[in-house]
Amino acid sequence: MPATDYQGSFLGRISIRRNQVMAMEPNSHEQEVEDLELFQKHVSDRFSDLLSPPSDDSSPSDPLLSIAWLRKLLDMFLCCEAEFKAVLIMDRDPSQMTRPPLDRLVPELLERVVKALDICNALCLGVDSVRNVQKLAEIAVAALEQRPIGDGQARRAKKALNSLITAMMLEDKDGASAKSTERAWSFGRRGTSSTSAQKDRTAGLFRSPSCNMAKNWSAAKQIHAMSSNLVPPRGAEASGLASPVYIMSTIFVFVMWTLVAAIPCQERNGLGTHFPVPRQLAWAQPMIGLQEKIAEEWKKKEKKGSAGLLEEMQRLEKIGQSLIDFADGFQFPVEAERLEEVKTQVEGLADICRKMEEGLVPLQQQIREVFHRVVRSRAEFLDVLDQAGRLTAPTV
Amino acid sequence: MEPPPENAGLAFQTAEKIILRWDSTASEEAREKMIFEGDRGEVDRYLHAVDEIQRSMSSTSISDNEQDKVNSAIQIAMARLEDEFRNILISHTNPIETDSLTDPSSSVHSACSITAGAELDDDATAEEEEEDASISKGNELLRYNSDSSSSAYTSYRSTSSIREIDLIPSDAVYDLRSIADRMISSGYLRECIQVYGSVRKSAVDASFRRLGIEKLSIGDIQRLEWEQLETKIRRWIRAAKVCIRTLFASEKKLCEQIFDGLGTSIDDACFMETVKGPAIQLFNFAEAISISRRSPEKLFKILDLHDSLMDLIPDIDIVFDSKSSESIRIQAAEILSRLAEAARGILSEFENAVLREPSRVPVPGGTIHPLTRYVMNYISLISDYKQTLNELVVSKPSTGSRYSGDPSTPDMDFTELEGKSPLAIHLIWIIVILQFNLEGKSKHYRDASLSHLFMMNNVHYIVQKVKGSPELREMIGDDYLKKLTGKFRQAATSYQRATWVRVLYCLRDEGLHVSGGFSSGVSKSALRERFKSFNAMFEEVHRTQATWLIPDSQLREELRISISEKLIPAYRSFLGRFRSHIESGRHPENYIKYSVEDLENDVLDFFEGYPPSQHLRRRSQ
Repeated sequence: MPATDYQGSFLGRISIRRNQVMAMEPNSHEQEVEDLELFQKHVSDRFSDLLSPPSDDSSPSDPLLSIAWLRKLLDMFLCCEAEFKAVLIMDRDPSQMTRPPLDRLVPELLERVVKALDICNALCLGVDSVRNVQKLAEIAVAALEQRPIGDGQARRAKKALNSLITAMMLEDKDGASAKSTERAWSFGRRGTSSTSAQKDRTAGLFRSPSCNMAKNWSAAKQIHAMSSNLVPPRGAEASGLASPVYIMSTIFVFVMWTLVAAIPCQERNGLGTHFPVPRQLAWAQPMIGLQEKIAEEWKKKEKKGSAGLLEEMQRLEKIGQSLIDFADGFQFPVEAERLEEVKTQVEGLADICRKMEEGLVPLQQQIREVFHRVVRSRAEFLDVLDQAGRLTAPTV
Repeated sequence: MEPPPENAGLAFQTAEKIILRWDSTASEEAREKMIFEGDRGEVDRYLHAVDEIQRSMSSTSISDNEQDKVNSAIQIAMARLEDEFRNILISHTNPIETDSLTDPSSSVHSACSITAGAELDDDATAEEEEEDASISKGNELLRYNSDSSSSAYTSYRSTSSIREIDLIPSDAVYDLRSIADRMISSGYLRECIQVYGSVRKSAVDASFRRLGIEKLSIGDIQRLEWEQLETKIRRWIRAAKVCIRTLFASEKKLCEQIFDGLGTSIDDACFMETVKGPAIQLFNFAEAISISRRSPEKLFKILDLHDSLMDLIPDIDIVFDSKSSESIRIQAAEILSRLAEAARGILSEFENAVLREPSRVPVPGGTIHPLTRYVMNYISLISDYKQTLNELVVSKPSTGSRYSGDPSTPDMDFTELEGKSPLAIHLIWIIVILQFNLEGKSKHYRDASLSHLFMMNNVHYIVQKVKGSPELREMIGDDYLKKLTGKFRQAATSYQRATWVRVLYCLRDEGLHVSGGFSSGVSKSALRERFKSFNAMFEEVHRTQATWLIPDSQLREELRISISEKLIPAYRSFLGRFRSHIESGRHPENYIKYSVEDLENDVLDFFEGYPPSQHLRRRSQ
């Protein structure tokens, strides 16, 4: 989705093509300060929107960390990123990048960017594993939508839902745990697998698809590394270009952290919940508010041991558990009242599946778009740094 | 046509019994044995039983209770079939035989023979290694490279050829298909796809490991040394060909064999379920390379990667032809375009680097500068890759095309080069900026003669390299070659002027004759001064310029001859005319220190590059 909600004088002056000499009056210092302030304001506004979206009757707001909400988050990220690039590259003397403090800050930002790229890849894999969960849920829906609901349907739904719950648990452990594979079989309860051939067969089967990143790669560690050195500029630096660099870095960290908290990806154990942004920063208030809300959810999740924070997954898990209980105590025929309950739940399940079916692929595409955009921006920054004649840091 | 109720009831009951007997949740025996591993008769009976139950499902004349029994039986049957399906798949999931892992179109490279069970080693051919060795490491443009003759360039452009193999024996395929058919027609499609996908995907993963395809993050790749990456790229190119043309193609074929005709695009769905993850993993490596930081030494491996990917695109389009696999085709195309961009960017980088190469330490003896060697080797290789680069490089160099008045870049009029391809213009431009840079370096010699000699040596080297490579020569063109030749000849002339004018000045006639008088008319004192000057100058020149070097033997000879042609006759004539005056005076040996032969011999020392401490041949008295 294109970024369309620019405000103020920015849009009229944004031209992010390289090597193009802007035939405008040179940026006076006043103008620069105004640009920076506008950038801050826009960032603040956008995050406010996400934190407490303006809802009206026609379009109820999307729940926090739902697929639709995450897509909004990504959109907003792209807007901020575009504005940031304009502020930093447009009309600027490239040699500014090689002077303090930018000579240190820009390479640091580019390091974070590389980590973000890997996280994007992990997230895309994560969305795939959510799709797997969706498909399992669809089996349960197909089974329980039949009338009448018989033993067969109940067992089928239970099998699918058990696999679903297992899959969600699996995301938070270290990949292919052989124990869980036995769930995938109709027989072979834990410990009763008789032949060794069977045991061999179960091993390594039900590997979580999101564990396809490099060995030892950990989303939690990447986020942690990204937030190191995230220090707000002080004093005179705060009124210069160090400020937008800091803001953008913070946005990067926040967005990646949020996505990792929501979408299952490799190794989220140990995901930190502390956000190193000082509270006094006015523009950061909405972001900090959001972060606290999400962090609270995350801590609850760690206690319960349940799967990622994606709103649809959470709901899926709840309904799934309830339906498993239903299937466990199943007796044919089902009494009318119970049937109504189940019907509502199944409809809920179907609704989630629909949302996933509609939203997951676009979500993946958006993550890829973020990936591309970030790659492009990084290339442009590297160009500017090279143009300035010196390579300021041995970053790659 | 439905059988009469009683028979129908009986048929159903029989079928139900069979299904229940094999209910794995109910009996130990059912758990321990697999139907499809046993007696074929049993298999047939079971499948018939399933069919019978399915028939009953569509029967209208049964009560709710019976409906429940039917549904229950179906579910038990489907659960059982799912396990059988999984079991058959797993029993036939051996990672792809390593014999099949050779590149289907390996006519280009000497066949990489793979011993069974061994992973694909990096057996880079000798040619590839030589190729790589001629490009210096890292950003150090000062690495002294030996002249490597243009190694036989192995093209990565080959004809595509998809080669599918049978992953599962046909009787197993038949069984799988029978099961899939029944699962799908009972509405258990999703379960079927899930089982299929999960087993086959781990088979593909195992094959990946055998092919040596690593899981590396972008961060990992940025941190690796380029030399290590070159090895990985080479390996990736080989592996990717096998993956697309054999591995993925075969998986697709297997899906078709099992699922074709059983529903709409089910084979596509199963195929994507199996290979989407691995395909992304495969391409992520190439993607990471395409976004890595640009530096000149990366150009040729990036071009290799580009070419091999371009080669694979038609096969990728065939193997991933369904709508659901669009994202993979898109990713491949994106990576290709990024690689092209990277190549262009690196060329630009390279040109910048040549222009700005800052070393100031003069090369001793005025010989070939390592920068010259590096650049000429580099553009020689570029001409080897001209097929690809001609397609990629479509615009002229961005600097120097206008008379900018910027003293830090040379001027060049591109209009003279109309009709040349952009790549050729780039190459000429590179030579222009190389010379520009060298001229700057030449000014660091304190001795102007040495500056000229240095330029002569280096431009001559450039000319030789161009002449030595037919592709390069064809692109640079004889016009420009002529210009270069003129340049080094001019440098030779400048050298001679700088050194020898003043030496020969000592041997001039004017100023020696004194008018009038009965005496010979020659000022003895002036003459002595002349001889002394000449001796001192020549000795100095001899001593110094023996340490200078002209590496090219022919050029060395030519220059010496040229010097001799001026020096020897002049000295001979001078000596002839004036020696008597000296010899008639005191201590002639102080003044006439050189015979003509001495000079001739000493000239042979010139440009030999002797170490400064070496004792020079004493001239005979």
